[in-house]
Amino acid sequence: MIRFEDVSKSYSRGSSGVSDISFEIGRGEFVFLIGTSGSGKTTLVKLMNREIKPDTGSIWVAGKNLVTMPAWKVPYFRRNIGVIFQDFRLLPNKSVFQNVAFALEVIGKPRKYINEQVPQILKLVGLDGKSERYPDQLSGGEQQRVAIARAFVNRPLILLADEPTGNLDPETSWGVMNLLERINRTGTAVVMATHDAGIVDSMRRRVIEIDHGTLHRDQSRGIYGIGV
Amino acid sequence: MSVGYFVKETSINLWRNRLMSLAAVFTVAISLSLVGSALLIRQGVATATSEWQGNVQLLVFLQPNISKSEFKAIESELHSLSTVKSYSYVPRAQAYGDFRRLLANQPDLVNAVPESAVPTFFRVSLVNPAEAPAVGAIFKGQPGVDTVNDNFSAIHTILTISNVSQTVILGIALVLLISAAILILNVIRVAIFSRRREVAVMRLVGATNVFIQVPFMLEGMIQGLLGSLIAAGVVIGVKALISYSIQHFSIHLLDGFVLTSHDLIFTLAVVVAVGVLVGTAGSTVAVRRFLRA
Repeated sequence: MIRFEDVSKSYSRGSSGVSDISFEIGRGEFVFLIGTSGSGKTTLVKLMNREIKPDTGSIWVAGKNLVTMPAWKVPYFRRNIGVIFQDFRLLPNKSVFQNVAFALEVIGKPRKYINEQVPQILKLVGLDGKSERYPDQLSGGEQQRVAIARAFVNRPLILLADEPTGNLDPETSWGVMNLLERINRTGTAVVMATHDAGIVDSMRRRVIEIDHGTLHRDQSRGIYGIGV
Repeated sequence: MSVGYFVKETSINLWRNRLMSLAAVFTVAISLSLVGSALLIRQGVATATSEWQGNVQLLVFLQPNISKSEFKAIESELHSLSTVKSYSYVPRAQAYGDFRRLLANQPDLVNAVPESAVPTFFRVSLVNPAEAPAVGAIFKGQPGVDTVNDNFSAIHTILTISNVSQTVILGIALVLLISAAILILNVIRVAIFSRRREVAVMRLVGATNVFIQVPFMLEGMIQGLLGSLIAAGVVIGVKALISYSIQHFSIHLLDGFVLTSHDLIFTLAVVVAVGVLVGTAGSTVAVRRFLRA
């Protein structure tokens, strides 16, 4: 589903790059991407979503070679990938319903389909009854649920989550994790970058650890600390 | 892609950013009002000049004792010259009548001059008034010719003023147009910058670049159109004002300064076309910046 082969990416300044990263993630897997701030986790997420291109190496996602992919094909590729962020990235002037519907509107889905799908997905994430609220009327956990609904409404093959619990208190974080686990059970691969040790330790899923831009550890059923 | 989506998005965006939209509309309106008025005045000057040029005449005064053969020679010369558009002979009786009429308010002078003292002459219209000195030189000194009126330097001056003023007005209009384009580009750029979150989300969920661009392009086009319609109204007003002033204050030098409805329609078409074009192009260029993969 996702394959990195000797991928390197460096920045002239600012963001931290990665070097010689290779791994493979299969269909329907749940993977934690861990490492300290500045280790290169976000760079890997951006590489998977073709927000950036690697300097060297090759990347395959959902059967597509991201290095040779022409720019005009990128939007179509992204429709197979859902992404959520620490800061939610909701549109403040659209209601919950409109935020989720927006993802379908802009890829040209018909109104009828949208009116069917959006309530369904809002129910799935536990926000039925709040579809007319605006983001600033919701708690952080609820906002992240809207973001997940928006990312998942296309039924993507892969869900990328870049520190999704970074802004949430532990209890709310667990709610979000349960939701990601349920989404994973539908067959969607979930790749979650995090430095929340508690979550990683108790979920016992595959862990890929990045340290200073290189692959430090790749362990199935791992924990955040040094391997079991 | 649904047309409904674009109409909805465009109208929501125009309303949500109404202050910015208004700024863009008025920028277009003011710039294009100036451009349109400048174009209109330029056309007026051009019409006035060609009108006035058509009225430039060369007068070839004949000696009182001119012989039949000398008269024939001058006439056949006028006939054969390709630079002469038309000519007519003004006999003494008519010349004297004109003289009395022109100087009617100076009876002493009129009474002092006997009919026999008034010279006869050829009234010559030229194809191109700028050639008056050359044509005049041919007849000056020819047997039977007394003198040729030679107000040539005045002709030259007026033609120069007319040409220079037309060029200057056109130059001002062009500069205004360029600054209008830059202003519109900036206004739309600011509007798009304030919506970069929305654009980022659209890209995230896989909207194509064309899909993202269309509402912005429509927005720029509508702003350009509204602005240019206001400008068109101003240009119509300016035309009415000029026509009114010429009629009511009878400025003789400006008698030829006629603005035809053809001139007006041409100017309005230019104004609206430029407004729409600049609005659409400005928003397209501005949104492109945010879409580089």
